[in-house]
Amino acid sequence: MRDYTIYYKDTLPIDGDWPPGNEWDLFVSAFTSARRVRRVFDKVNATEKHWLVFPEYGYDATDLPTTGHVFAPSVRDEAEYVREFWSSLSGNPQGGRICIDITGFIRPHLCFLVRWLVACGIRRFDAIYTEPSHYVAREETKFSDGPVIEVRQIRGFEGIHQTEAVDSETKDALIINVGYDDRLITQVAEAKESSRKIQLFGFPSLRADMYQENVLRAHRASEAVGMAESYFAPANDPFVTASVLNEIVRESTARAQVTNIYLCPLATKPQTLGFALYYVNECVNGPCSMLFPFCSSYAKETSKGISRIWKYTVELPTEA
Amino acid sequence: MEGNFPSLPETVRLKPAMKDRPSNPFNYTKADGFTDQEINDLWVDISPHDGFSKLAKLTSPMPMYIVGGKGSGKTHLMKYFSYPVQKIRHANDPQAGIRADGYLGVYLKCGGLNASRFEGKKQSDDAWASIFAWSMDLWIAEHLVGTVLDLAGGGNAAVSNERDACVEIAELFDAPSEHMPDTLLGLHRRLRDLQRELDTAVNNCAVTGGLKATIHATRGNLVFGIPIAISRHIAAARGVRCLYLLDEFENLSLPQQKYVNTLIRERKEPVSFKIGARLYGVRTHSTYCADEDNKEGSEHETLPLDAWLRADKRKYAVFARRLIVRRLGDYGKVRWPNASDREIRQLFASQFEDPAHTRLARKETAFIRSKYEGRERPYFEMLRRVLQTGLTAGVSPGVASEADIDEIITALKVAELPLLEKVNILLLYKDWSSQRNLRESAKNISADCHRCIETREASGRYARVMHHFRADLLAQLRRDCGGSRRQRQSYTGIDTLIAVSWGIPRHLLILLKGAVAWALFNGEEPFLGSPLSIRAQQVGVNDAAEWFYKDAEIPGVDGKRVQDSIVRLATLFREIRFSHKPSECSVVAFSYDQTKISDDARRVIQLAINWSLLIDVGPQRDRNSLRVDMKLQLNRMLAPLWDLPIFRRGVLALSPDEVNAIFDDGQVGAFQQIVANRVARMTAPCFGRKPQQPPPNSGHRLLPGFDDA
Repeated sequence: MRDYTIYYKDTLPIDGDWPPGNEWDLFVSAFTSARRVRRVFDKVNATEKHWLVFPEYGYDATDLPTTGHVFAPSVRDEAEYVREFWSSLSGNPQGGRICIDITGFIRPHLCFLVRWLVACGIRRFDAIYTEPSHYVAREETKFSDGPVIEVRQIRGFEGIHQTEAVDSETKDALIINVGYDDRLITQVAEAKESSRKIQLFGFPSLRADMYQENVLRAHRASEAVGMAESYFAPANDPFVTASVLNEIVRESTARAQVTNIYLCPLATKPQTLGFALYYVNECVNGPCSMLFPFCSSYAKETSKGISRIWKYTVELPTEA
Repeated sequence: MEGNFPSLPETVRLKPAMKDRPSNPFNYTKADGFTDQEINDLWVDISPHDGFSKLAKLTSPMPMYIVGGKGSGKTHLMKYFSYPVQKIRHANDPQAGIRADGYLGVYLKCGGLNASRFEGKKQSDDAWASIFAWSMDLWIAEHLVGTVLDLAGGGNAAVSNERDACVEIAELFDAPSEHMPDTLLGLHRRLRDLQRELDTAVNNCAVTGGLKATIHATRGNLVFGIPIAISRHIAAARGVRCLYLLDEFENLSLPQQKYVNTLIRERKEPVSFKIGARLYGVRTHSTYCADEDNKEGSEHETLPLDAWLRADKRKYAVFARRLIVRRLGDYGKVRWPNASDREIRQLFASQFEDPAHTRLARKETAFIRSKYEGRERPYFEMLRRVLQTGLTAGVSPGVASEADIDEIITALKVAELPLLEKVNILLLYKDWSSQRNLRESAKNISADCHRCIETREASGRYARVMHHFRADLLAQLRRDCGGSRRQRQSYTGIDTLIAVSWGIPRHLLILLKGAVAWALFNGEEPFLGSPLSIRAQQVGVNDAAEWFYKDAEIPGVDGKRVQDSIVRLATLFREIRFSHKPSECSVVAFSYDQTKISDDARRVIQLAINWSLLIDVGPQRDRNSLRVDMKLQLNRMLAPLWDLPIFRRGVLALSPDEVNAIFDDGQVGAFQQIVANRVARMTAPCFGRKPQQPPPNSGHRLLPGFDDA
């Protein structure tokens, strides 16, 4: 069993200077209206700083940041977006120190970026995540703004699936990292209606009350999800999340025959990072996919305040 | 317990054998999650003798689309006819059983293809079309060979004559390689390897930017060639139709569906297809054969499953009750034997608490008598107010003073029978609208009312209005005088629940799931002696209505547009139902001239039909022009959200402007005014007419809909 919890994670001061060793050659962050994202961008000490502006956030040209390099294409496909961004970089980031602020990322783009870094031969990067004090409308906070356009596999996370056995007692398993967006949970559960559902909740949550809020929202998708097993992993820890995923898959496949596995990261960004990390380490070219309900737009600002700044040192495998 | 059903035979009585609270027997509402054994065990046919199999024409060569709303039973139906369940049905001798069936069902879910992989990634549409076709051929072939292996080999590796079959199958590949296997097991592995090779190329495309895949056979070759080879060489499959059951067709994009349509067009014996799709799921009938469309009746036929289930109310009700009985199979370890339809009906009558239904609604309205003891009932207060307003405005014929108003109200009162009081008031409003003398009218209505009570007269104006508007007037009474949860709009009783589900078995299961969950949580023992309480049923209905409304959200930008339209339509129905003088009784449907509405309205209406928010209930002849209009009814599952009736009686004829104001996003600004105009015609004291100029210093108040200007 792979143990992801041995990877380094640390917190960084919100107000004071960051300790030595926190300097990078390349810093990438996703632009949103949240103060926690902009504050970190200003604070980071890096040779090159890049803003990724995602069209799903709906920013006008006049809203774009004035500091750092701004990458704001209209392309929505996560693979095309990341590939275009990477080819726009002036130097070769391989070998340099890379830091990615995952706080404002759209999940499929974050996942594909991890897959892309593996394909580029990058073996290590730092990820920063800034925890909010609370979400703007508590359990009623809307993260996805527009309608769900489609539920599909995230590019680069499309497994080599097995066709169902003639004896259909074997089943697909859908592991949903349950977040606040019950609409998205419903959509993905409906897309893999016949699968055995497993819910992975963020617990401990970022803030004490967020777990209750999370459960309240998730309950609204109960008809679509049906009977589901529940597991827990800390909302702010990608490494424990990856380890728990490993455990869930081992337990599920030991208990019953599983044909294919579908992973769906709908909770916090650290947990999404954990899903991506688990996948690139253990699932590439296996019968496992990452599934996502793609929305036309996302809310520009969903949180208030800064509670903690995390730095995760992510080590990547070599491309299979 | 036994005393509950003294008239029923021993075999149909419920026998609880455990004290523990049982789990909800309606928890599973989707066939998709069932095992093959459950698919078989929970199967209920529409008729005792080959109901669904006859309907689906399983041995017919003609391909068929089985379309229906979500939960209409497509998956259960298609899985029931698939090989694994055939094998369960013919456990003693599967080969003989399948020969007797005349078909071998190869079930595949299009969702399992993850078809969105075959799009984008900077590759051309043509490239993806070819790759998808190859992937689909491999997928179908692998399933088919796996199925034949199981049938012919029965778990053993060796199948007689398989070498001959494999030699023939090898010829189907464009460049037969020396590695072609000579056993079905080897062929199965080879197909799986080819699929894996293709999947790797497709998946890596996003990362590498290139698509390096090899197509090894001309499209369709494997899909038709393997069944031919197998039926020629493998005894177990000889003379048996190879029936591809492709479910979840809606998960394929338009070009992908075009490929399946092409297979249907190029069909070869002994193959046929059943394609399961949601109502919106069939995006095209076009093919890659010179872009020609497949024609209904020529290349394919369609079975609209939910429409078919809705069409025969009686048959559906029998089916629905049997469905419930089957689900109750092992519930709480009670025994639900193979009772007759009559026995089941009798049994359920006592298992669902339902308010008493009496001719004059004496029991249903008892709460009003006690609640308003010694004080004026709200509907008379309202009548008094409008009479006073009419008097001031000079629009109340025959009413000259407060004493006249008292006289009218006194004449209309029947303290013991609130329903008749509402009938009386409605008739007065009707006469008022016709500008009859209201004092005279009140006297006549009172006389009719007493005759109705005494003689049980079933004809004439009074009886007709009472019969037609009974449901609406009871709804108005509950709204006017209700308050407690028990007295809200009533959707209770097994017949009502079945009617609400309206051809969608899953809706019935969801209604019952919510109701039984609530009952069990609150210590009730439904189906174990005590009936399912009214409160539990109401909770079930309301939860299911909310779930349906949310669940029917259409993906993409049109979703909100369609749902907003449904809200506007339901609001209009509600305003009419609760108006003083509804123009139609039990209005929950509308008709319109399709040729005169805007394109956008037409499109939104079609989406609402495709997502089962609106149900096409047949054509309606326009009263004046005799033109044949489209008639649509709001899905009954939505009725509780707006306190609407579930049974349609009147149909609202909407003008093109009204339809556009409801369904066309660009014209919704006119909606409020259109509702106001409609409802004004049904509202006392003016009934849509302009009021006379009031005398100076009369101290009048403004009427609704009229301003100072």
